[in-house]
Amino acid sequence: MFYRLSGIHHTRYESARALWPVTADRRIVQGLLLLAVAAPFLLSDLYLTSYMLPWLIWTAAALSLTLLMGVAGQLHFGFAAVMAIGAYTSIHLTRAGVPFELALLGAGLMAALIGCLFGAAALRVKGLYLVMATLAMQYLVEWTIINVPAISGGAQATLSTPDVTFLFIPLQSDGALYYTALLWTVVVTLLIMNIKRSSFGRALVAVRDKDFAASVIGVNPLKYKLLAFFASSFLGGVTGAVLAFCYYQAVTPEQFGFNVSIQLVAMVLVGGLGSVIGAYLGAGFVLLLPIVLTNLLAFVAQFDLIPISFNLLSHIPLMVYGALIIGVILFEPLGLAKIYDNIRKYFLVWPFRHTQS
Amino acid sequence: MTQTQHDADQDIVLECDQVNRWFGGLQALKGISLSVRKGEIFGLVGPNGSGKTTLVNAITGFYPPQQGQIRFLGEPINGLKPHCIAQKGIARTFQNVALFRGLSVLDNILLGRHIFMRPSIMASLFYWWWAQKEEVAHRVKVEEIIDLLQLESVRDEPVDVIPLGMQKRVELARALCAEPRFLVLDEPMAGMNQEEKEYMVRFILDAREAMGTTMLLIEHHMDVVTAICNRAVVLNNGEKIAEGPTREAINDPAVVTAYIGKVKDAA
Ligand SMILES: Nc1ncnc2c1ncn2[C@@H]1O[C@H](COP(=O)(O)OP(=O)(O)OP(=O)(O)O)[C@@H](O)[C@H]1O
Ligand SMILES: [Mg+2]
Repeated sequence: MFYRLSGIHHTRYESARALWPVTADRRIVQGLLLLAVAAPFLLSDLYLTSYMLPWLIWTAAALSLTLLMGVAGQLHFGFAAVMAIGAYTSIHLTRAGVPFELALLGAGLMAALIGCLFGAAALRVKGLYLVMATLAMQYLVEWTIINVPAISGGAQATLSTPDVTFLFIPLQSDGALYYTALLWTVVVTLLIMNIKRSSFGRALVAVRDKDFAASVIGVNPLKYKLLAFFASSFLGGVTGAVLAFCYYQAVTPEQFGFNVSIQLVAMVLVGGLGSVIGAYLGAGFVLLLPIVLTNLLAFVAQFDLIPISFNLLSHIPLMVYGALIIGVILFEPLGLAKIYDNIRKYFLVWPFRHTQS
Repeated sequence: MTQTQHDADQDIVLECDQVNRWFGGLQALKGISLSVRKGEIFGLVGPNGSGKTTLVNAITGFYPPQQGQIRFLGEPINGLKPHCIAQKGIARTFQNVALFRGLSVLDNILLGRHIFMRPSIMASLFYWWWAQKEEVAHRVKVEEIIDLLQLESVRDEPVDVIPLGMQKRVELARALCAEPRFLVLDEPMAGMNQEEKEYMVRFILDAREAMGTTMLLIEHHMDVVTAICNRAVVLNNGEKIAEGPTREAINDPAVVTAYIGKVKDAA
């Protein structure tokens, strides 16, 4: 009814494998993209720069991480460190006079290089041990940034981003910053979707699901694990640079601390491992929920019905936030993406009840 | 060397030469030698725990033999990593179905084409101009195999929701997609009913006819083995106890004792 499947018969393999084979889905995506492009004209500056912009950038980060954790099945609990490497590399490169476009590339490569170094541990260890290896990366990178003044810009220092241009447009106005972030997020989204429907992504999934069965069809498990770390860290590094230039504009090591790594893992888990739409939903959930909750509680506190101390007020969002993550994972281990999928399937066959798959 | 013997040597696809494999103190393979000729279906039978799967694992590189040599088309392959052996043209199916559960039937079978494809991040990034052409070209081959094994109806299903009989067929399809020169089937009919079994036999024979694949078949159903295998080797406790044309090999007195001995032990 809403999503008409009747009359959709793919006669070419290309169209059967299109990103959105169903017309209704394509319409929705087109509509959303249009809204995203029009956002600077529709939203107030506050909403644009403090909600839309970070949401897009963190979505790109969640997408980079979900490529590694979801598609390739390798845990990473130090992804904020990967982003930190990208952020600091891009700032130092641009300060040295390198054009921003090249600095982004350098940020990605540096993050990928160091990411692979720690990822090499993945070739030998699995599960908890890999978590330990990536945690080690988090702390080593953080320690290095803090303790090497040449990188951090001095003890307790914030390092501000220099003025740059991106594709000949100065990154000054809110609009320019927003469109840069939007462009990057769209690129990462398309890349992950394309990886998932091509031989590279299939090989990653094969290694994730059964590495011995993967090797028996000629997939080299070590090579693909390392490639997963490379690709994911590269994207994470560039996203870190975009985060620094488009959102923070001045970076400190705390912005890439361990709690941020955990937040990223939460985004990926709550959204649904390996899901593109899940990265959008997960990032939105993790970013928005504490804000919404704080506002809600402040609103309730106005009426003085129950005494809410200031201390409690600041902790309740964190508690609810944790409970909801556990709730989502218990209620629907495949995350918000699965909930979305269920709703979509409901409308796919509405007013009937039975779906094909 | 006579002319006929020379021809026979040329025709050998896979050769095991005095293969030994220990697991700790347990010797699972005791000096196994065998040779599989081009185009034949070679049976490998024996009671449970006799070392059939272990021999296959030695051939495909999972548990390389500690002693002895395995040659594929005259070239030693023991010591190579499993994925390198796969790239040389040896495919296999597993006794317990080993499909990729997170993928659809189609994606599973497409993975069989991996060795012919050139996956890269760049190709994926520029999908429409780069990867797509390759994907479509290989899809054509995959559809041929889907046709051959009659898998059209489940093509787009997630692989873990289809029945076991179908899953075994998908695994065969994945292996055939690699256009292997040598295919190992480890109990492709285990847990199947008579009808599914007959289908599977049909598919194996069809595949050999269509693609000329040389096969090594491990099977407990003796009716199947006698029906489709040209020659067979019988293992017992890691030892080769009989070898030859299928009927002769499995009617060998030593084989009968091995199987009956098993029954006696159990009793
Ligand atoms: N990875 C391993 N570690 C230790 N022992 C093993 C291993 N794999 C096989 N074995 C042993 O080697 C012997 C042969 O096992 P194998 O699986 O090859 O038998 P099989 O002939 O395939 O039997 P079945 O018909 O039940 O499949 C058994 O005693 C088994 O316990
Ligand atoms: Mg076995």
